Amino acid sequence: MAAPLTLLLIVAVTIRAALYRSSLADLISERVEVVSPLTAWKRVVEGLALLDLGVSPYSGDVFHETPLIIYLFHFLVDYAEITFMLADVITAVALYLTVKEYNKQVFRKQKYALEADRYPLDCLELIRSPKEMFYIPLKVAMFYLLNPFTILSCVAKSTCGLNNAVLSLFILSTVKGNVLLSAIFLSLATYQSIYPLTLCASALLYLMQRQYIPVNFRRASFWWFIVQYAFMYLGSLFVIVCLSFFLLGSWDFLPSVYGFILSVPDLTPNIGLFWYFFAEMFEHFRLFFLCVFQINVFFYTIPLSIKLKEHPVFLIFMQLAVISIFKSYPTVGDIALYMAFLPVWSHLHRFLRNIFLVCCVLLTCSALFPVLWHLWIYAGSANSNFYYAITLLFNVAQILLVSDYFYAFLRREHHLCYGLYLKRKDGSEATLVLK
Amino acid sequence: MKILTLFSLFATYSSGNSINIEENAGQFFSSGHTNNWAVLVCTSRFWFNYRHVANTLSVYRSVKRLGIPDSHIVLMLADDMACNHRNPKPATVFSHKNMELNVYGDDVEVDYRGYEVTVENFLRVLTGRLPPSTPRSKRLLADDRSNILIYLTGHGGNGFLKFQDSEEISNVELADAFEQMWQKRRYNELLFIIDTCQGASMYERFYSPNLMALASSQVGEDSLSHQPDLAIGVHLMDRYTFYLLEFLEDIHPASKSNMNDLFKVCPKSQCVSTPGHRTDLFLRDPGSVLITDFFGSVRKIEITMETINLTDPIQQVELSPVNEELQIEKYSYADQLPVSEIIHQKPKQRDWHPPDGFILGLWTLILLVFFKTYGMKHLKHIF
Repeated sequence: MAAPLTLLLIVAVTIRAALYRSSLADLISERVEVVSPLTAWKRVVEGLALLDLGVSPYSGDVFHETPLIIYLFHFLVDYAEITFMLADVITAVALYLTVKEYNKQVFRKQKYALEADRYPLDCLELIRSPKEMFYIPLKVAMFYLLNPFTILSCVAKSTCGLNNAVLSLFILSTVKGNVLLSAIFLSLATYQSIYPLTLCASALLYLMQRQYIPVNFRRASFWWFIVQYAFMYLGSLFVIVCLSFFLLGSWDFLPSVYGFILSVPDLTPNIGLFWYFFAEMFEHFRLFFLCVFQINVFFYTIPLSIKLKEHPVFLIFMQLAVISIFKSYPTVGDIALYMAFLPVWSHLHRFLRNIFLVCCVLLTCSALFPVLWHLWIYAGSANSNFYYAITLLFNVAQILLVSDYFYAFLRREHHLCYGLYLKRKDGSEATLVLK
Repeated sequence: MKILTLFSLFATYSSGNSINIEENAGQFFSSGHTNNWAVLVCTSRFWFNYRHVANTLSVYRSVKRLGIPDSHIVLMLADDMACNHRNPKPATVFSHKNMELNVYGDDVEVDYRGYEVTVENFLRVLTGRLPPSTPRSKRLLADDRSNILIYLTGHGGNGFLKFQDSEEISNVELADAFEQMWQKRRYNELLFIIDTCQGASMYERFYSPNLMALASSQVGEDSLSHQPDLAIGVHLMDRYTFYLLEFLEDIHPASKSNMNDLFKVCPKSQCVSTPGHRTDLFLRDPGSVLITDFFGSVRKIEITMETINLTDPIQQVELSPVNEELQIEKYSYADQLPVSEIIHQKPKQRDWHPPDGFILGLWTLILLVFFKTYGMKHLKHIF
């Protein structure tokens, strides 16, 4: 499978290089759907220029990247395009290896379950075979690299590509079972933007199941593992934050990066839900609604982990989707990451109910974003409500997509336990509903 | 014998004359300007600000009388007093009671009138950044050999001047506009006169070379008007400009009065406010600067039969060279077209570098993690 992957990488890199050379690169790097105040390349260059002039890059409201990005781009600012293409390549290869490893695990579990005769006889058509699972890793890499959202994000040189690379390396190290690397990459991802903190729970669940530690609150081994992981995670986070302090010699970056993410002062329109709401908010209620919105991101961790504790990789997918929908400055690059996982659940297609609607809405909204932006900002015949309506619809479609996959996954699990053709007590046909 | 003495006398006379010619030639180039411009701005509108229009028109009259043509004057008047329907003497603007002096003759050419007198237009005129469709009469087409007179009058305060009762220009903006003019070589020397309340605050922030500034009052003082005219019903002029006009009426194109006389115009006894001036940015000694260097357009013409060798550097008349070298100019123009940089494309200097401790710490950690993950067996190959 290395050859098709290499071919895919070459094709992806060619497309990106061609777009870099064209005049579209400038146009794309200014689109608000692709770059946000957190990830814009213009701001990175501005921050480095400020540093050359002897001023802290965090003075003023320009630069909101972490100091490690400063260090990285201090040497690589002339090779920025190669860096971002490399980040995309790393993400794709990491996802490829992740899905390969995950498929092996799925197949192994399935084999044990079959041998233990745990599946009812009529749901055998739901069993997955290696033949159909063979091309899934390649499809995942393809979904990530050739996704127009990823290409736009790479051509705009948005640092979202680097975030995605770190997250995919975290997922790879988790799935491979390496506790230390998983903790380190998670702390790097959290250091970049706070929201990957929610992926802690899923990583813990996966690693514990891989090491056959029972997930039971009363067991000491459970707590001991959590303590170990938390120590590694918090320790590496602490080390990275202290190292960032030593880069510039000041703690300026804490309010500029984390304060910015959490308190959302910049209300530039983007594809998220925060900007419109907070533009209309009275100052009196701002803190309250800020807390509500931020808790909303973290809130789904516990219920989802309880429900999906047998399936931590699906939990990772759900968490990534929740983060990219509800985070304070989402861009299309975040969406591209969780959409790359969709081929892994392609066997669920027979249970998906809204997929046609969701696809249509997503495509239409993606096409309407630039149209309504132009009508609002340049033609003046629309206003922010129009753009926000499309944003809202886009997010609703994403939520519908994710919840649809959730339903399909749970339904398949249910069928695997109780058989494909469900019957009520009196023998009539029944169906499953997600309540 | 007689011929010899005559010849020797003639020789000494001519050699004496030639030395004189060198001095005169030196004097020719001492001021350094070849053309004169004037920008005269009245920033107030409404009938009761009659005196500001009269101020500006008086200075306009003097400047025109002393030789600057209309093509080299940019006159900005925010309101039309001569044709104002409250003017009992239409088509006139008087600067003195008893109707002695009508400064609004039939050859007044106003370049910016009415609502065109805005801060933006003023700054655009100064810096030359006008749209291509602007006619020549509305442009300040100065070059690096132009002496410019800028006269502002109106209502002002500490650090600002009010334009048209709706916007204001600050002293910082004005100083930056003059700096732009310096960097674009739009003036040789510039004389800035302001007649407003607290006018001295407007020249506090200047930082470009070759600027001389005069103001009618210090910070914290008000400039007062001179006298009301009972027939017209308003104050006709401000005190400072009234005495300035009186002073300028005595100047003719050949007069040798210098700036020190101008600084003495309107002492506190006459003006009630204390006029101020600023010469620290000016390269020449104000005593050697003629009034006509700024207020008039005087062509220096002297007829001589001698020849002068212009290839040698002409000594400045009043400066004594140090160490037999010409004194180096203290200020120089910024390099506007850095050709060497463009052609050779040197890589940008990066001034900031991450501290060594940081780099060391980061890479140590990365190496540690690498060895922990992949086992210690690699270590023995290194140590």
